[in-house]
Amino acid sequence: MLISYLKIAWRNLVKQKVFALVNLLGMSAALCAVLLLSLTAYREWSFDQFHENKNSVYQIVNEKYLNGGDKPTITKSVAEPLAAAVKSEIPGIRHTTFIIAFDLPIRYGNNSYYLNTKLANTDFWEMFSFPMIKGSPKPKNGALNEVVITQKAATKLFGSSDAIGKAIEINIRGRWVPYTVGAIAENVPANSSIRFELVAPLESDPDYADIKGKWDVSTNPLFVQLEPGITRETFEKQLNILREKHYTKQDEFGSAKFRFKSVALKDFKLSEESYFFAGVNKYYPWLMLILSVLIISIACINFVNLSVAKSLGRSAEIGLRKSLGAINSQLFIQFWMESFLLCAIALIIGVMLAIGILPYYNRQFSQQLNWGMLQNIRLVAGIVIVFFLITLLAGGFPAWKIARQHIITVLKGKMTLNKGNHTRNSLIIVQFVVAVLLFSSTAIIWQQLNYIRKKDLGYNINTVISIPLDNATPAIIDKMKQELAQLSEVKDVSAGMNNFGIGTDGSSGNWIVGFSFQDRQVSTKFQKVDYNYARTMGMNFIAGRDFSRAFGTDSSAVLINEAMARQLGVKEPIGTSFEFSDMGQVHVVGVVKDYNFESLRQKIDPLTMAIAKPQDLSYMFASVTTANLSATLDKITKEWKEVNPLSENPPSYLNDNIRRLYEEEGRFSNMLMSGALLAIIITCMGLFAVTVLTIAQRKKEISIRKVLGASVQSVVMLLTKDFLMLVLIAIVIATPFSWYFMHQWLQQFEFHITIRWWIFMVVGFVAVAFAILTVCLQSIHAAMANPVKSLNRE
Amino acid sequence: MIQLQKISKYYPVGLGRNFILKEIDLTINEGEFVSIMGPSGSGKSTLLHIMGLLEEPSDGQYLFEGERVDRMSEKKRTELHRGSIGFVFQAYHLIDELTVYENIETPLLYKNISSSERKSRVADVLDRFNIVAKKDLFPSQLSGGQQQLVGIARAIVSEPRVILADEPTGNLHSDQAKSIMELFKELNEKDKITIVQVTHSDVNATYGNRIIQIRDGHIRS
Repeated sequence: MLISYLKIAWRNLVKQKVFALVNLLGMSAALCAVLLLSLTAYREWSFDQFHENKNSVYQIVNEKYLNGGDKPTITKSVAEPLAAAVKSEIPGIRHTTFIIAFDLPIRYGNNSYYLNTKLANTDFWEMFSFPMIKGSPKPKNGALNEVVITQKAATKLFGSSDAIGKAIEINIRGRWVPYTVGAIAENVPANSSIRFELVAPLESDPDYADIKGKWDVSTNPLFVQLEPGITRETFEKQLNILREKHYTKQDEFGSAKFRFKSVALKDFKLSEESYFFAGVNKYYPWLMLILSVLIISIACINFVNLSVAKSLGRSAEIGLRKSLGAINSQLFIQFWMESFLLCAIALIIGVMLAIGILPYYNRQFSQQLNWGMLQNIRLVAGIVIVFFLITLLAGGFPAWKIARQHIITVLKGKMTLNKGNHTRNSLIIVQFVVAVLLFSSTAIIWQQLNYIRKKDLGYNINTVISIPLDNATPAIIDKMKQELAQLSEVKDVSAGMNNFGIGTDGSSGNWIVGFSFQDRQVSTKFQKVDYNYARTMGMNFIAGRDFSRAFGTDSSAVLINEAMARQLGVKEPIGTSFEFSDMGQVHVVGVVKDYNFESLRQKIDPLTMAIAKPQDLSYMFASVTTANLSATLDKITKEWKEVNPLSENPPSYLNDNIRRLYEEEGRFSNMLMSGALLAIIITCMGLFAVTVLTIAQRKKEISIRKVLGASVQSVVMLLTKDFLMLVLIAIVIATPFSWYFMHQWLQQFEFHITIRWWIFMVVGFVAVAFAILTVCLQSIHAAMANPVKSLNRE
Repeated sequence: MIQLQKISKYYPVGLGRNFILKEIDLTINEGEFVSIMGPSGSGKSTLLHIMGLLEEPSDGQYLFEGERVDRMSEKKRTELHRGSIGFVFQAYHLIDELTVYENIETPLLYKNISSSERKSRVADVLDRFNIVAKKDLFPSQLSGGQQQLVGIARAIVSEPRVILADEPTGNLHSDQAKSIMELFKELNEKDKITIVQVTHSDVNATYGNRIIQIRDGHIRS
């Protein structure tokens, strides 16, 4: 029986090539897209799931409201004594560890390598599931100079020889510190957000003494593991009781609204609040899933419409089978089998397509998918189940519709699924709604990204080079400054502790300081910078001057931005003085025009800048005047490598760093754009096939009209009109949805475009153009045909 | 074998009813060869469909071998439909995508007959109708007469007790019609299959041993 079904299904496919092709192409493209998109979403969600303690490990973060703002700011670092306090004062805390992340140069013999290094407490190994290959991560007698390295790092450093006990040196904070290798861990799984090649004891950090026991400096993120049975809510409650006890006097944030929160281990990858947040918006995996559902439903709709329309030609067969004793369920199975066969072929093509474009996909969208993920039985089972559902959806509905047809009407060849035109038209509208929705969203995202690219940020991004200092010593920094001063292209040189955008080192951060001013609590973002900062960056002054050596050390001088000046609320900000953090009494020497020192997602917060000590500087900035930007960059890169051979991250122009800030959006819009394009193509293919069928059905009508004197235009109009109507309805339905979603999306940017009505006009016009092109070709063909031919055949 | 008691078929039209068949009483005995004749629209096809369980009467009782069809369970009716009744159509209604062999095999598939038995039964029928050489051809490669031959072969392969034929020779020219009618006669006489045919042709009607005239939903003779 099954064989007979398959046979007839196959012969039908071969016979109706256009439909088979449309269905097959649409379905395989959709399945390919769905496979890639859902694997991407799956991968994001699978992060950190391998930890045994994934349900009991949390990161402590603190949440505060700056100057009565309504959006909380999260800082991810806490004070060092909090760890001990949490462990001793809150019941039910099993382990705690700090984690500090670095890229540090490691020296073994004459070779040095940069390794992704973490400094952590020994509890780290209890809390997270990183199995050892050899040795124990807990040194006997508590030695502080033993490190754990991964298998990969061991091979990199020592080749095939045994790594255990080998002496290495690590360059921490500009100093070479000796360590021995105590244990070798397995390589970190690809879906771990905590990545390392080497883990050293936190206490071995030379700067550890500076923070030990101090409640007023928060430098490192803290992680805790709760005992079983302790809920996150009780823990957070206890934590905030603890906060009141220890932070009353030394409240570092100057804001009473600060409170502790926790971030669960399973959210480390996708929560913006987590220390390991990788920049992927937590909604994006969902959006990918939604996108794949949309694409597959468009393909399914094609399938349904074509199958129903196609079955008209098989009315005799259906009736006949019924008269031969087939019951509805058998017919249902038969037609479902046909869909299944088609879907199975489409799946095979789709998978092959996916395998083929995977490297391109990974490159284009910075993904790291691999087919090893398919070794996961549950994932494969999921794919199979979803596939069955798709065939049931795509083939089941038409099968059900066909099988239910009354036998007599069918036998008389009068099977009119014309009532089904209603269904068909609704489905076509759904397709176009999806296509228009995706298309207009893409257009708006593209506009916003364009706006971001073009927006004047208030400083010079095109001719300023940022050099990540990694862990260069003050001597090296001085040397580099001198070298740069000698280059004719370099106009000005300065430095700071924060980068602009995201540099080649991939890091960013902020520092918030609160203090009291005229009996008010105010808080400000704080940056330490070097002399000549504002001039090098090309910032404009509202009043006052830049930091300058001409005025002595300027050590008690600060620069503020307009927002800060507004917050202080004094008439003459220049010369205003206040007690500021651990700097003591400071006075304002200059007010710079507001500039976007953070991303355009955020509004411009109050900002205060002070002169940095050399060891606080993390980035050097050089403004250049040159005709050949890339040659100058190469020159400076070479210079830097010579001055600091240990440097890892190359210099880059600020506009590059800024672009990196919005990479995620760029990637997302690319993905959406591809999805939209695919959706439109599949929709149009379906429309094409439906048109072919409709015209075939109306051939006689067209001929009669022509014989009666209808012109070609009027016939084309007749055939096109109905479909155009559908597209127009779809545009009307899709526009408000699209407007709403995109309005929501834009809200994440403090600086954003306004959605203009004409964008929907443009999108609508394009959709109509596509539809007309698809339908017209066929209609014209039909309208031009000789009417006698089709009339004779009747 | 077939007993129709006060069978009516009507469709509601406005407030009244449009009768296609009105209170038909008809008994067809086992082994008969009955021709139903009448003008277009007289209701003869509907009558045939009701006998073949393809359509349900609006009123009246239908007894098949003394058993009331409307009281049968769905399963029993399907059983009866598959096992005891064979259909032959004016337009042959062969499945274009299946070969001659596969077309004939189809009713056996629905009866869940084992593969080896299917093979032998199809082979028997092919042999009997002299169409072995054509078994791998598709319907479009056959002439009308040959197609109808296949249609009849398909109808008898499941060894029905009754064959209901709806103008079986309507699309054929007279030579072909003649051989088809002779085949029917042979099936009736040799195989003892009850045959009910609807026909327009007086000549074809004479092959049967009873003629039923139907007009405006009533039996005239």
